Amino acid sequence: MATAQLSVQDQIRQLEGARKLVLGNANYYTQVIQATLPIIGPSAQVEFRRWGAEFLAEAFATPAIAPGQKETLSLVVLETLKLLVEDPNQDVLVLRGVIQAAASIYPLALRWIINNSYDTHTWERMTAIKTRILRIWDTAPLNVRICCIKFAQRVVLAQTQSINPEPRRGDLLDISLVMIPSNHPILDAPKLEAEASGLLDRMLGVLQDNSSDALIVDATLNTLSILVRNRPTTSNRIVNTVLNFNPLKLASSPLTPRTKVLIKSMEKTTRMLLMHLSRRNPQNPLVGRMQQQIERLMRSRAEIFDEGSRKRALVEQPNGVETKRQRTGVVPPHPQLEITPLKPGPHTLADVFTFTSNDGLKHFDVSNNVPAHIAARISVTTFARVDPQLLDRAIQGVRDRLTTLYEAQQQPVNPETAPLDVEEDEDDYEPDFYTAEDTEQILNKLDSSPADDRHELEKPALGGLALPTFHLPPPPTLNPEQAAKVGQGSVTRVFGTMRTLEDPAIKKAKAGINRLAASSYDRDSWITVITRLATRANAGLDNLEEDEDSKEAISTIRLSDTIREQLFNYVLEDFRKRIEVAVSWLSEEWYNDKVQEQSSPTLSDIPAHYEKWTLRLLDGFIPYLHSQDKVLTRFLSELPELNPAIFSRVQTLCRDPSLVNLALTTLYYLVMMRPPIRDLALDVIQDIWTDYEDARPIAAKYLQRWRPNFIEAAQQTLSGNEGAVGASATTVVT
Amino acid sequence: MEATNGESAPTAPANGEREDPGGFKLKFCTVCASNQNRSMEAHLRLSQAHYPVISFGTGSLVRLPGPSITQPNVYQFNKVSYDAMYKELHEKDPRLYTANGLLNMLGRNRQVKWGPERWQDWQIGIPRTDHASDRGSEGTEGGVVDVVITCEERCWDAVIDDLLNRGSPLNRPVHVINVDIKDNHEEASIGGRGILDLADSLNNAAKEEREAVGPTAFDMASAASRASFDERVPDIIGEWQERWPNLPATWTLAWF
Repeated sequence: MATAQLSVQDQIRQLEGARKLVLGNANYYTQVIQATLPIIGPSAQVEFRRWGAEFLAEAFATPAIAPGQKETLSLVVLETLKLLVEDPNQDVLVLRGVIQAAASIYPLALRWIINNSYDTHTWERMTAIKTRILRIWDTAPLNVRICCIKFAQRVVLAQTQSINPEPRRGDLLDISLVMIPSNHPILDAPKLEAEASGLLDRMLGVLQDNSSDALIVDATLNTLSILVRNRPTTSNRIVNTVLNFNPLKLASSPLTPRTKVLIKSMEKTTRMLLMHLSRRNPQNPLVGRMQQQIERLMRSRAEIFDEGSRKRALVEQPNGVETKRQRTGVVPPHPQLEITPLKPGPHTLADVFTFTSNDGLKHFDVSNNVPAHIAARISVTTFARVDPQLLDRAIQGVRDRLTTLYEAQQQPVNPETAPLDVEEDEDDYEPDFYTAEDTEQILNKLDSSPADDRHELEKPALGGLALPTFHLPPPPTLNPEQAAKVGQGSVTRVFGTMRTLEDPAIKKAKAGINRLAASSYDRDSWITVITRLATRANAGLDNLEEDEDSKEAISTIRLSDTIREQLFNYVLEDFRKRIEVAVSWLSEEWYNDKVQEQSSPTLSDIPAHYEKWTLRLLDGFIPYLHSQDKVLTRFLSELPELNPAIFSRVQTLCRDPSLVNLALTTLYYLVMMRPPIRDLALDVIQDIWTDYEDARPIAAKYLQRWRPNFIEAAQQTLSGNEGAVGASATTVVT
Repeated sequence: MEATNGESAPTAPANGEREDPGGFKLKFCTVCASNQNRSMEAHLRLSQAHYPVISFGTGSLVRLPGPSITQPNVYQFNKVSYDAMYKELHEKDPRLYTANGLLNMLGRNRQVKWGPERWQDWQIGIPRTDHASDRGSEGTEGGVVDVVITCEERCWDAVIDDLLNRGSPLNRPVHVINVDIKDNHEEASIGGRGILDLADSLNNAAKEEREAVGPTAFDMASAASRASFDERVPDIIGEWQERWPNLPATWTLAWF
């Protein structure tokens, strides 16, 4: 006997050795399982069967083995599992292990039969195991029953439609009904789904019966999360059942240490599941009810376990039907909301909206401590979840307070009006008039005065009662500097907007001459607005200059110059892309200059903005040009007016030999395409020919056609000069 | 009635090793926020009692007190060893960190295992053969446990939420028990004793279950007389709670 016992222990030790081997390297699983199956079979001693069942449960659970390998392994072990589970006298712990293994294998077997429909034997074995497990579900000891529940959950998971239309291959939780083709020879999807639906009902039965068996209840609740999240067809049924489950039913019986543990456990497990689901899936339409149930459970639990009251605790009816005692107000239908009337004295707007009596919360400055985007997110989620009735109450509370405040503001008037009433003839007393006037005054004051001045302003409001009429105090006048500053601020903001606006995806067809300047809020419109603001804003003011304070005019001019400066910077930031902006701006400038000239031909000191800014722009981007740039050609050809000053800038380009070609091509383009300035452009080419030797070959080519005489003359003088230079050079050398 | 924790604990466990009783042992996992104080105290206690035990923290980072409340010492889970923390703090301010007990705690922890591990990063069911040098690693090679004991309600919540999140792919039941312990060295020590007492009670029940070989199954009379370990857990916790009234407990049966 003793030797036999020893041999069992020795063998178990050997089996443990084999287990250590596979834990170290999962590749040995196939060999080890095949080698151990005969030892752990249905006729083996209970110690071996226990070890084997636990080993198989572990093997099919571990993520260390790839799902594909597990699938192959499952084919090997199904027969053993079937024999073990079908033995009516099977040891309880063996059953537990076998059912756990079967739960892990079920989705694998389903996937196998989906892809290998010929292998009916495997599926028959799996079905036999399933049938057996589902049969012992109701009668088995509790520790086996929880495993039956888990098995049923895996069947439901596998036989309902997954939320993922494309199952992820590695995720066994994703094996679902969607993988079964409609023409499968063995599997009938609707039938499987019906079975799953029945199993789910059986699982939820324990909650519907409001069982007090915490082990079963917890085991069930803790399997439901993945079903709700990944199997939409089960979601509503499960959530509704959980919402109708009352985990606190036991509280009506005497509170023994055991029942306390059970109540706490079921309440907390229910609450955790609801919190998890409402957090993971905030779009679920039942989230509101979940939140209510969570709060209700927390309150009831607090009441039950409140140290002070050892009396029989109240039990919440989760379906909302209230018992007689609850109606006495011990459990208010909504969370407590204490709306205290405001104390007399001045209040900030925040005070009016504050309900909490917690000083720490009151003084917590959200604007300083919480970044705006987080505050916004918190507010949105809070509003989405808040109980509408609670919100209504809070709003009503604020309304009431505002009404009280409104009335309170009227009260100080009375002592002032009373003497009036006594002194004057009764007919003159028009309380309505005064009251109305006064309220208006106060509101005006509140609106127009900064917070600091309010105290001071209250007095005139009361004293003002003696006067028959009230004049709205004029708004504080902006001094020119302030105005300019504010103006600059606005302009800067417009530039900010322009920078963020994307290029229109599709170029709109140009509306031509009939187009409106700024009819939409795209970038083009803003550019039009801003350029006209720069060019025309002061145009009107120039005419008024005599009437206006000269200072003010100067500041306005300063403003438009600031805009110009900003436009200038804006264009130069990325001149290749923004050259269009530059052209439209300069066109506006040119137009404005012309209009100015016409409107006041006598005035000679009208600043020529067009030329000034064109030259600045050219000076700005010319240093960055490279030989392939088309931007210069385009810019010059689109400008409304060209003059020698502008051309002189082009001429300077030729200092860089690599840009000679660019400068000359640009000029030649103007010669060809803009006849009015042809001569001007040719003059420049001529100058270039004269000044820059490197440019001569190309310049000569262009001049050949338009100014053949010049070339000839120049050639001659040049040869003469050259001779002279050469002569002088030789003299120097010699 | 003023009750003190552990007043009537049947066996006041000695501070330190005890003889290995052998036989079946439940596998435990202790959890607190940073895997430093409470869970490590309990980890040490359980390992000294020869239970298979692993431990985790549920926080986002390992936070240890610093020179002021706004300057905590923050470390990453699974990246920094207890030894490295010990050396760093010893270098920073040996007096401060000796006075507040941190060096003592880290010194203890580095004798137990390499470094703090994060619960959420635990790959449940992946063999832990590479943790052989950790105290209490014997028996936890399979990478699963039977009982998870958290030391704070918040951690229990995090564990349950995480298990719900994982979707219970392993089909293995696990008892998750919270034992509320304040986060200071004294309470951690008391809590550690309480947890060991709980572990002993649970393990006795589990042992009895395994000694009862046979079908029990469908004969309800015998099943009642020999309730399974799982069924007895709430009774055991209830009785334990009477012994340790200042360590409020919460329990559920969850799934790996």
